[in-house]
Amino acid sequence: MATDTRVLAAEFQYLEAHSTGEVLTWLAEYGTRAKILAGGTDLLVRMKTGQMKPEYVIYIKKVAGLDYIQADEAGLRIGAATSLMDVEGHAAVKTGYSALYEAIRSMAATAIRNMGTIAGNLVNASPAADTAPPLLVYDAVLQLELQDGVRWVPVDEFFLGPGKTCLAPEELLTEISIPPQDPGNGSSFLKLGRVAIDIAKINVAVSLQRSGRDCTSCRIAFGSVAPRPIRIQEAEAVLTGKRMSNELVEAAAQAGAAAIKPISDNRSTREYRLKVSRVILGEALRAAWQRAGGVL
Amino acid sequence: MESQWLKLRVNGKERQLFVRPNALLLNVLRDELGLMGAKYGCGLGECAACTVLVNGRNMLACLILAVTMEGAEITTVEGMGDYDRLHPLQQSFLDNGAVQCGFCTPGMLLTAQALLEKNPDPSEEEIRDYLRGNLCRCTGYAAIVQAVKEVKHPA
Amino acid sequence: MEFQVIGKILQRKDGVAKVCGQETYASDVVVPHMLYGVTLRSPYPHAQVLRVDTSAAEAMGAVCVTPDAPCIPNLIYNERTVSIPEKTYCDRRVLPLRARHVGEAIVGVAAETEELAFKAMQAVKVEYKVLPAVLDLDEAMAEGAQALYDNIYLGDQKLTVKNNVACERIITVGDPEAAFAGADYIAEQEYELPRVYHHQMETKTAVCRPDPNGGITVWATTQTIHNIRILLGRIYGLPLSKVNVKKLAIGGSFGSSIQMNSIIPICVALALKAKRPVKMASSREDDLHSHTKFPARIKLKIGVKKDGRVVAADMLAQVDIGAHQINAFPLLGCMAGWYASLYKWGDFRFEGRTIYTNKVPACAMQGYGNPQVNFAVESLMDLIATECGFDPIEFRLKNYVGIGDEFWGQGPSVKSIIKSCGVEEMLQKGAELIGWADRRPHEEKTGRYRRGIGVARGFHTSGTGGPKPGEVVDYSSATVKINEDGTVDVMTPVMDLGGGTGEAAVKVAAEVLNVPYDRVDLSLVDTKTTGYDVCTHATRGVYCGCGAVYHVARQVKQKLFEYAGRILEELPRDLELEYDAKKDVTIVYVRGFKQKNITIDEVARLAQIYSWGTIAATDSLRQKNCPPCFVAHFLEVEVDTWTGVVRVPRAVLLSDTGTPINPDMVAGQLIGSLSRGLGYALYEETEHDRETGRLKCNGFITDDKIPTTCEMPRLDDIQVYFAHTYEPTGPFGAKGIGEAALNSVASALNNSLYNAIGIRFYRIPITPERVLAALEGSGRDGN
Repeated sequence: MATDTRVLAAEFQYLEAHSTGEVLTWLAEYGTRAKILAGGTDLLVRMKTGQMKPEYVIYIKKVAGLDYIQADEAGLRIGAATSLMDVEGHAAVKTGYSALYEAIRSMAATAIRNMGTIAGNLVNASPAADTAPPLLVYDAVLQLELQDGVRWVPVDEFFLGPGKTCLAPEELLTEISIPPQDPGNGSSFLKLGRVAIDIAKINVAVSLQRSGRDCTSCRIAFGSVAPRPIRIQEAEAVLTGKRMSNELVEAAAQAGAAAIKPISDNRSTREYRLKVSRVILGEALRAAWQRAGGVL
Repeated sequence: MESQWLKLRVNGKERQLFVRPNALLLNVLRDELGLMGAKYGCGLGECAACTVLVNGRNMLACLILAVTMEGAEITTVEGMGDYDRLHPLQQSFLDNGAVQCGFCTPGMLLTAQALLEKNPDPSEEEIRDYLRGNLCRCTGYAAIVQAVKEVKHPA
Repeated sequence: MEFQVIGKILQRKDGVAKVCGQETYASDVVVPHMLYGVTLRSPYPHAQVLRVDTSAAEAMGAVCVTPDAPCIPNLIYNERTVSIPEKTYCDRRVLPLRARHVGEAIVGVAAETEELAFKAMQAVKVEYKVLPAVLDLDEAMAEGAQALYDNIYLGDQKLTVKNNVACERIITVGDPEAAFAGADYIAEQEYELPRVYHHQMETKTAVCRPDPNGGITVWATTQTIHNIRILLGRIYGLPLSKVNVKKLAIGGSFGSSIQMNSIIPICVALALKAKRPVKMASSREDDLHSHTKFPARIKLKIGVKKDGRVVAADMLAQVDIGAHQINAFPLLGCMAGWYASLYKWGDFRFEGRTIYTNKVPACAMQGYGNPQVNFAVESLMDLIATECGFDPIEFRLKNYVGIGDEFWGQGPSVKSIIKSCGVEEMLQKGAELIGWADRRPHEEKTGRYRRGIGVARGFHTSGTGGPKPGEVVDYSSATVKINEDGTVDVMTPVMDLGGGTGEAAVKVAAEVLNVPYDRVDLSLVDTKTTGYDVCTHATRGVYCGCGAVYHVARQVKQKLFEYAGRILEELPRDLELEYDAKKDVTIVYVRGFKQKNITIDEVARLAQIYSWGTIAATDSLRQKNCPPCFVAHFLEVEVDTWTGVVRVPRAVLLSDTGTPINPDMVAGQLIGSLSRGLGYALYEETEHDRETGRLKCNGFITDDKIPTTCEMPRLDDIQVYFAHTYEPTGPFGAKGIGEAALNSVASALNNSLYNAIGIRFYRIPITPERVLAALEGSGRDGN
C-alpha cells in the first residue's frame, strides 16, 4: 500500500525541547518544516498516513511549565501539553465546565486521552474536534507565543477551515484560558457517533446564563456541520433575554438546524446531520438549563 | 536522522537502547526487547491492542516515538505477572472465560489495570466506559467486563 | 449423562500463555537472519501491469519479486483447496499480470528492516495500462461490460467467462410453480446484505524459512496448516516432505484464513529468491484490502396455506464476489442448503449467481452465506406471520426442519438425516425468558423511545461430512499417546481459532481415558508430525476434529487394556477404566472384581520397562453426518425515533450444540456472535467508492467501525440457554456452535425493530441514517 502503519517510515530530526523559549527558537528557524509533537495521537497518525511530512519534530512534553491546570476566580487556564485525561480528571472542570468535561469524556480511547492534549485537538483543526464547541461557547482565549511576542486569540477566530488555523508556523499555542463561569451558568455537550469510540458525526455545546426563569445569555456551537466548528448566533438570539420554555427551546433548535450547512462523508449524511442537529441542540439546551438550576 | 541512546525502565528493569527517532515504542519493545505481549492491531490508535502502561497510565505504543520515553517506566503484559504468580486480573480473565483468541488480551489487561489503579471498585458502566477503546472481535466483551468486575484483591 | 471432564468449566490450555503475553502468533515469530517483506499494491481497480522496474529498490539492498519474474510460477490456482479439484474454480497467480482490485499485491519486496522494505517498495516503478473498472453488480452483468477475465479454470478445464458471471447454480425440488399456484398467500421481497470486513484482531502474517534440504518451513496465519502445505508444494514444485507448516495460535479469523492468504506464496517466493527467511506481516490497510465477507442480494418468494403451512419457495441470490473466486461455487451450494434446511418448503427453487467485480475478493466469514440467507428467510417469515395473523413462534414451529428430516449441510451434495434437535425447546424457552406473552404490537407504541421484541432462528452445519463423500473434502486426524508416567499427549492438526477447540480435544481424550484434565496436554505440532485435517471451518472443530481425537483415544484405550491384560493376566475385554478421585489415580480393573487393578501410570511405566512400546495410536476419521447445531435469538431493541439510534437493551441467546463440551466457551461464542451480529445489522459496511474503486475507509479502521463494550447489552441483560440434546454421532453427544451462533442475530434484530416501530428493513446495516429516513418516509418500508 501507499502506507505502512506498522512503522513510521519518515525521516526527520527529533528535537526535544526543555523550555518554551527553545521551542520558539526552533519554530522561528524551521517554520512550516517543523511540527510540534505532544501526545502524538494526531501527528503520528498523519505522518503514518502521509498527510504530514515534517523535517523537524519538536517534542514539547518535557517542557517545564506547559503541563498545568489552574482554576481560580480568573477562570480556568490549561497548559498546552496537559493531557486530556488530566483535564477531564480535574475537579473544577467536572463541576464548573460541564460541556468541556463531557466533550473530553466522549473522546476516543482512555489511552488516547492519556496521551493527547486539548491544544493538539485544537491545532489539528478538525471540523469535528470535540473540544472546540465547548471552548467556543465558553469564549475561550488561546495564547499564541512567538519568539518575541505573544498574542491572545479568541477560539472563534482560531479556526479557518479543515486543518487550517490562524496559528503562524512560528507560533506555539501555549495556553487555553477560559473565563470564569458566573453562578447561574449551565453548560452541556452532546455528540453522535457511529459507535462509542468515534469522531463525531455531529457535536454540539451550549453554555447559557439563567436569571430566574429567563435566559439572559446563551452561546451555542456545533461541530462537524461546517468547514470549521462554528457558533450559531441565529439560535443564540432566539433564547437571549427570553423567558425559558419548551417552545423556546424548540424554536432555538429549529433555528440552529436552519443555520448549518453540513456535508455527506464517510461518517454520515448531510440529511441526517440536518435532522439530528435540532434534536441534539434541543437536548443540550435542556441539559444546560437544568444545570443552571432552571426547570422546564 | 541519527540514532540516539535511550534509557528507560521496562517491567522494572533498567534498559539502555540505541534507537532511531522514528522508531515506535511498540516495535522497540517487540523487536529490540523481545516483549511480544503488546500487539500491532491497526497502527493508528483505533484498537488498543498495543496498550502499555507508561508511568502507570495506559497508552498506545503504536503512536509513541521511543525516543520520547527517556526516563519513563514502561509496563507490558509480561510485567504484570508470570505463570507461577499471575496478577489477579490475569487470573480473573482465566476464571471468567475472558480469553478466546487472546490477541486483545494484553491490551485489555493493562487498560483494566490502569482503571483499577484509579478506581479499585468500578461499576459495570465504568468498566465498559474505560475499556471502550479496546476492541475485541471474539468475546462480545461480556466475559472481559465480568472478569474486571470480579477481580479479587486488585493490585 | 454424567461426565468426568466433558461439560466442566476448566481453564483453557493456552490461557496462561495468552494472559502473560507469551503465546506465539504468526506475527510474533522471529527467525534468525530474517528479512522483512512488504507488498506493492495496485492503486487502480483494474489495470494491466506492463512493466515493473525494481532497480532502484534493489540498489537500496532489497530483494524483489515481480509478476513476470521466472521465480513466480505461471500456475493458475485457487487459494482455497477445501473442495475437490474438479469443483474448484481457479483464477489467480502468485502475482498477477493484471491488477483486478485496488490493493491487489503486485510486487513483493524484502529488506533488512520493515522500514527499509517499505521505502524500497516505494522506489519500485510500475507501469500500468489502466482498464475500465467494473464496480457495480448490475453493470458487471450487462452486455458489453468490461470483462475481468477471458478464461478461468474449473479444475483443469478451461472456461470462458460470460458477463462476468463467475459461477452459478440452479436447483429445483418438485414443481414450485404449481405449488405457488396452490398457495393462499404469497410474499416476495428483495434483501441487500453488505460487504463487511472480518476485522480479526491479528493481521495476516507469513514467515518462510528456506531450509538446507531445499525445502521450506512456514509459520502463517491460517485455519488450515495442511492445505497450505499441499498448495505451496504444488505452486513451487516442492515435495511435501520438504514443506513444513507450523501450527500456531491465531489472533482471530472468522473465516478470513480458510484459504491460503495471498501473502503466503509471495513471502515464499521472496524467501526462496533471497535464500533467507522472510517475515511478511500485513499492515491493517493491507489486510483490509485482502478479503471481505460475501455480500448478497437475495430475492425471496414464499407461498403459504391458510393453515400456516409453507408450500413453495423461490430464491434468487446474486453475490458480488469481487476480483477473485475463493469459495464462490461452494458458497452457492451452501446458500441453497441453508435455505432448503430452514423450513419444509415443499416445492422450491434456488438460483444463485456470483459475479466478478473490481473489488476486494469476498470469502467466507462466520456463517458462509448463512447470515445472508437467514436474514432474507427469517425476515420474510416474520412478515408473513404478521400479514397472515400467525404467531411468529407457532408459525416457525409448524414448518421447521427437525428430527428425521433431511439436512443439507453443504448444499445438495452433502446431506444427512437430523438426529438431534432442540428447536422446539429453544423457541419455547426463549419466549418465556424474553416475556413473549407480554409483547405488544407496534401500533400501541408511542413516544420518542420505542421498544420491541423479535425472534429469529437459525442453524449451521457441524462439518461437511455426509454419508457419501461429496464436493468437499472432510476428515481429520489425531495422535494420542500415553506417556511413561501415565500423562497423555494429544496431537491434533486442528487449528483453535480461539473458540476452545484445543480444550475440547483435551477433554475428549481425558474423558475416553478417564484421566484428569491437567494430565492431558496438547503438543506443538506441524504438518510433518500430524495426519491431514482439512480446515477449521464449517463449524467442524469439535464435531469432526475432536471426533477424530475420540476415535483415536478409543484405540489407545484398547491398547492400554491389552498391556494391562498382560500384566494382570486377564483378557482385555474384561477390563474397565475408572478415575479414583480419592487416590487421584486412573485405574484399569477387572470387571466385577475391582480389587484386582493397576494404575494407568503403572501400565505405562511397565510397558516402557518391558520394551512393549508406547501406548499410542494415530488415525484419521471422516464423519459421515453433518448434524445441524440450532440457535434461536430473542432480542429486545430500543429505537430513538428522533435520532434513529438503535440500542439492544436485552438479548436471549439459545443454542442446541448437543453436549456443550466447553460451556463457558459456548456462551462466549454466543455472546461474541451477538456483538458481530449487531455489527452486521447496525454498523458495518466496507464499501468501495463507485468512482475510484477504492475502499471508502482507505483500509483504515478509523472509518470501519465495529461494536465496542458500550454497544452491547449489560451483563445481567444477556441470557444464555443450552437446549438439552445429545447428538448420537458426535463425540460425547457434541455438535458444533461457532458459526451457528451468528446466523440469526441480524434477522432477530430486524424483526424486533418491526415490533418497535412498525418498519421492516430490507437492507443492512440499519444505520441511524436509514432508520430516520424510513421513519420519515412511508413508515412501512425501510429500504
